[in-house]
Amino acid sequence: MTTEPPTAVDADEGDRPRGSRDAESATEASPALVVDGLTKRFGSGDDAVTAVDDVSFAIDSGSVVGLLGPNGAGKTTAIKSILGLVVPDSGSVSIDGIDARESPHAAHGRVDAMLEGARNDYWRLTVRENLRYFASISGADPSAASDRHEELLEQLDLAAQGDEVVRNLSRGMKQKVSLASVLASDASVVFLDEPTLGLDIESSLTLRSELRRIVAERELTVIVSSHDMSVIEDVCDRVIVMQDGRVVADETVSELLDSFETQEYRIVARGLEGTAVAAIREAFPDADVTETGDRVRVTLPATSSEFYRLVARLEAENARIDSVDSGTPDMEAAFLELTGGGDR
Amino acid sequence: MGRSNAVGGGYGHLIRAIVERELLVFVRYPINALGGVVTFLALFLVVFLGGREFGGQAFADSLEGIIIGYFLWMLATVALIDIGQEIGREAQWGTLERHFITPFGFGVVLLAKSVVKTVRVALLAGITLLVILLVTGERLRIDVLTVVPLVVLSLASVFGIGFALGGLSVLYKRIGDWIPLVQFAFVGLVAAPAAGIDWLHALPLVHGSDLLQRAMADGVRLWQFEARSLAALVATGVGYLVAGYAVFQSCQRRARRHGVLGDY
Repeated sequence: MTTEPPTAVDADEGDRPRGSRDAESATEASPALVVDGLTKRFGSGDDAVTAVDDVSFAIDSGSVVGLLGPNGAGKTTAIKSILGLVVPDSGSVSIDGIDARESPHAAHGRVDAMLEGARNDYWRLTVRENLRYFASISGADPSAASDRHEELLEQLDLAAQGDEVVRNLSRGMKQKVSLASVLASDASVVFLDEPTLGLDIESSLTLRSELRRIVAERELTVIVSSHDMSVIEDVCDRVIVMQDGRVVADETVSELLDSFETQEYRIVARGLEGTAVAAIREAFPDADVTETGDRVRVTLPATSSEFYRLVARLEAENARIDSVDSGTPDMEAAFLELTGGGDR
Repeated sequence: MGRSNAVGGGYGHLIRAIVERELLVFVRYPINALGGVVTFLALFLVVFLGGREFGGQAFADSLEGIIIGYFLWMLATVALIDIGQEIGREAQWGTLERHFITPFGFGVVLLAKSVVKTVRVALLAGITLLVILLVTGERLRIDVLTVVPLVVLSLASVFGIGFALGGLSVLYKRIGDWIPLVQFAFVGLVAAPAAGIDWLHALPLVHGSDLLQRAMADGVRLWQFEARSLAALVATGVGYLVAGYAVFQSCQRRARRHGVLGDY
């Protein structure tokens, strides 16, 4: 894969991120979360750092969205600004149709967040006590929610540890308790930062499938930030990629993978004369053409029509095509492509 | 879905959750809580035995006032330390930000926690007081209708200071380590010779402590105090509380502007 910046899906979109669903277009679908022009700078003068730069997106109710980006991309500041834990310089946030600036308590009362991983609960309380406590401080009636809490413990494979003090549990268990206590609160929008961190593979897979089930059952809207691309790929309907404080891509997982799958072709051919190679270089200036012995390898970042034009040209030059490879991209590759290979 | 109407009926759930947590932690870790009682008791015994040895009749005559003053100081100190240090502890535990994301708002949740903690401290202070009375053989003539309002209004000013310090610890989390030092200032405030020095009455605890001493020593009932004196007590209590809460709100807004709310 090349490390070129991503091409815009629509030429008219200008600087807008790939596939962006902005606040205006999403309003018709009455989304659970609308972020419009969110901007946050820290410091002043020459030392000012723009952590979040004009970020806009909308998330429909009942969907799971992945928020990705290299370290320092602005994900955490964006999430905390949405939650009201950081005051943005400009922009607006609307949760379940409630403007967070006009009615902050009502708006932020609709959300809950797992921001500190396993450090998100009271370790001196038991698992059940934590669920009860955090449901109560979010205004829910803990007695009415107790059946749902039991169900949550079953779903997250925590029922046997329900009466255990959290401090006695393993790191992975604490992580699950943290997730359970967030889901116990009856919030309609939930932010999960690294929900599978510290879990073994089996627990991680169980948690992913249960999370999807819980989302479907409760029409929950979930925003997941994770370093684990397989989690994003498994759990999320859609991915928002941030870099340098801006949204650089906002697409469904399948759209994102598809767009990268067709973006680069690698063709290995034999039997090309030197002049033919030069002609191909001239006809396809964006192609990367390398010669190894009698083999010519052409890497073409292009649409499918460009690909067929190249194949036709090679055939016209009497070349013998050894292989054609479009690659099998995964989220990891797509992410690296979008962000230029930074760490997440 | 969600909790759109949760707040109206939810204050009861909020208070109940905080009470339950305090109780659970107390029952599960009794040594921590009882350790405080033992410390205060030991400190009082030092004062009592030293006073009886060297204070003579003067000490014996003012013992009731000393006991109730010590009770007020203990209550104020533990409440202030608990409220002031709560934010730093929650930040360390990683639970601070979750208390911000509630339909009640951070200030209300902290106020509820502070009230519950103070009631818990009052119960422990009551136990300590009983032990003190057993040790000293004293009998206190406590007029509940007089003492309780005076203690509550005196503590309101301490709440105000606690909120202000709590607000500062939202910005500078480590400040909580220094809050216990305030207890030494409280000794001076509770024991201040307020009679004849008007400006001293504007300080927290001073006026309330003075009225409590008069109630205990001279048997003055609440309604027998001058209206001006009671108004001053209400004004200092409410004034410090409102001012402290304003400082707290200002600090938490500043912390959110700088993005340091959950940092430790």
